[in-house]
Amino acid sequence: MSDQAVLLDGVTKTYGGGATEVAALRQVSVGFPRGSFTAVMGPSGSGKSTLLQCASGLDRPQSGAVRIAGKDITRLRERELAVLRRDGIGIIFQAFNLVPSLTAWQNVILPSRLARRRPDPARVRELLHRVGLAGREGHRPAQLSGGQQQRVAIARALLGRPEVLFADEPTGALDRGTGHEVLALLREAADEFGQTVVMVTHDPEAAARADSVLFLTDGRIVDVLDRPSVDQIGMRLGGRR
Amino acid sequence: MTLVLAWNNVRTNRTGFAASFVAVLLAVMLVSSSGLLVASAGADDELNGIMGLLVLSALVSGFVSVFVVSGTLSLHVLRQRRTWGLLRSVGMTPWQVRRLVMAEALVVAVLASAAGCALAVPYAGAVAAFMRAVGLTPAGIPLEVTWGPFVLALVVGLVVTLLAAWGAARKAVRAGPLEVLRESAAQQRLMPWPRAVAGVVALAGGVALLSLVPHVKAVAAVPTGLGATMALCVGASALGPVLLRGMGWILGAPAAWLDPGAGTLARASLITQPRRAMSAASPVMLAVALACTFLFAVSTSDAAAGVTRTGPSAWAAPVLVGSGVAYTVISVLNAMAMSMAERAEEIRLLRSVGTEPGQLARAVCWESLIVTCAGALLGTGIAAASLAALGKAATGELWFAYSVPQYLGLVTVCAVSGLIGGLAATRKARHGPLIS
Repeated sequence: MSDQAVLLDGVTKTYGGGATEVAALRQVSVGFPRGSFTAVMGPSGSGKSTLLQCASGLDRPQSGAVRIAGKDITRLRERELAVLRRDGIGIIFQAFNLVPSLTAWQNVILPSRLARRRPDPARVRELLHRVGLAGREGHRPAQLSGGQQQRVAIARALLGRPEVLFADEPTGALDRGTGHEVLALLREAADEFGQTVVMVTHDPEAAARADSVLFLTDGRIVDVLDRPSVDQIGMRLGGRR
Repeated sequence: MTLVLAWNNVRTNRTGFAASFVAVLLAVMLVSSSGLLVASAGADDELNGIMGLLVLSALVSGFVSVFVVSGTLSLHVLRQRRTWGLLRSVGMTPWQVRRLVMAEALVVAVLASAAGCALAVPYAGAVAAFMRAVGLTPAGIPLEVTWGPFVLALVVGLVVTLLAAWGAARKAVRAGPLEVLRESAAQQRLMPWPRAVAGVVALAGGVALLSLVPHVKAVAAVPTGLGATMALCVGASALGPVLLRGMGWILGAPAAWLDPGAGTLARASLITQPRRAMSAASPVMLAVALACTFLFAVSTSDAAAGVTRTGPSAWAAPVLVGSGVAYTVISVLNAMAMSMAERAEEIRLLRSVGTEPGQLARAVCWESLIVTCAGALLGTGIAAASLAALGKAATGELWFAYSVPQYLGLVTVCAVSGLIGGLAATRKARHGPLIS
């Protein structure tokens, strides 16, 4: 089990209560092996964002355990969770990723600064260059487009080389070229640095870059494809509709 | 339809609504009770001695009320920029948005004014009893409840509330719907021309009044000095964002050095949002400037006349300035709570990238402290200018009397209420669930 970087064990998450109760995840058990790149797909409302939120410790499930590097994070205190989010996890959201008052550069180094570390400026510069933001280090989020903001968040998530990277639709707001570059960065994180990547996406092309694809429907994992092609994913999605 | 929307809006913006309600309620209460006291004392010849002080404190109350109510209301309306933008993007006309804002302001103004009037009589009674207890008015002030003060307070409350909401609504709808929805709307132009001109005119007026102080009759010196303080406050508040950007930069530097994570966050948000910071710093500036001018003007003229007040009469100035200061202190809490409440999303983001609970609390505390510090510095500068002019009038020298304990007490009270407001308003965002 120790080769699983992230392990969900019987995770159930419901929203609301009584008659309006909605089950977002029903007894989901899944492991994400260390150094793997996994895509999570499914129709909207299938629970894929909830899966990401529970796996990354943003939300606490009603029952079940979530283990990151063997530790059950559902039992951590707020301060321990904060340290885990800062040093062990990188999260890329769909929107509102950046602190509005900080520049792109300051946003990238924020987790390190919170940990009282001084990151290597050359590496920060290189990361911002890789995500296509060279020359925009001093811009504030308001001066960047949605796609640019998201790429700053990607650079932030990559800087500390955290054990696990969680990304919610990382290519959703990007043009094709930048999207490819972002996927290449995530791929490289898994292949070269042994980071575990979990990515929620709608895009079959993006999912095809992953090692395996999980399909969720109604809060359950209904299928897993290993090393799928774009066509296989498309057919799998089409068949369900 | 407008009313339904207005009501839902009130429900979803409880902090801002509560803050506006409290501001208007206390303003109406303060103005009508000072009015009652002045009217009651005016009917009694034996109270002529205290009349001047009562009128001055009523004027201070009125000024503070107008200032705080208009500040709170416009902050409340501008905070909801995103809601207005969203409503416009689904097809509401600017006129309809403005009507919605006004409907909400009207509801707040009417309810809060009614409550304020109801509380004014017991409050005036309490102040009169207190003044009697400390021996300021040995025979007490026989309270006569007349309509005048209530009508005045109601008119002031309603007109100021609605005017402030109107002005803010105009600003809020001027930006296009999309521009508002993009986060860039937060980065408005720092200093629009009309605001800069108003600020400079008010400052010039204040300086002119200051230069008049040594030349007017002795009786008129203190009122002129207070007038100068008020004008300078208005000017500094209008030009505040520019002043505060610089002050945030300087005062934030030690915080960022001592506490790299939390201090840097606090400093960055002050530098990028000086207008928001100024709305919280304004009441502190007002409290410090007015209270110091009022208190130390009395001690300066006493010192010049060789009078040493002991016992009850030493209480006169602190008691009379008390209500106004208490109100500004509450509005410090109010403004800090409002400016922090809109940061819930940002705080959740900070948590999700790994800010520890202690770091978040410290960031909020640093920001509140820097803001109160900046306000206190501005207020101190203004009071010192007025007092120096008053001292020159009384003694011929640029000198004035002051009391360090009273001053430090005042600044501490402001700082503590800012901290309480900031921490309380962010409590839910700091400890609640991350996913809403």
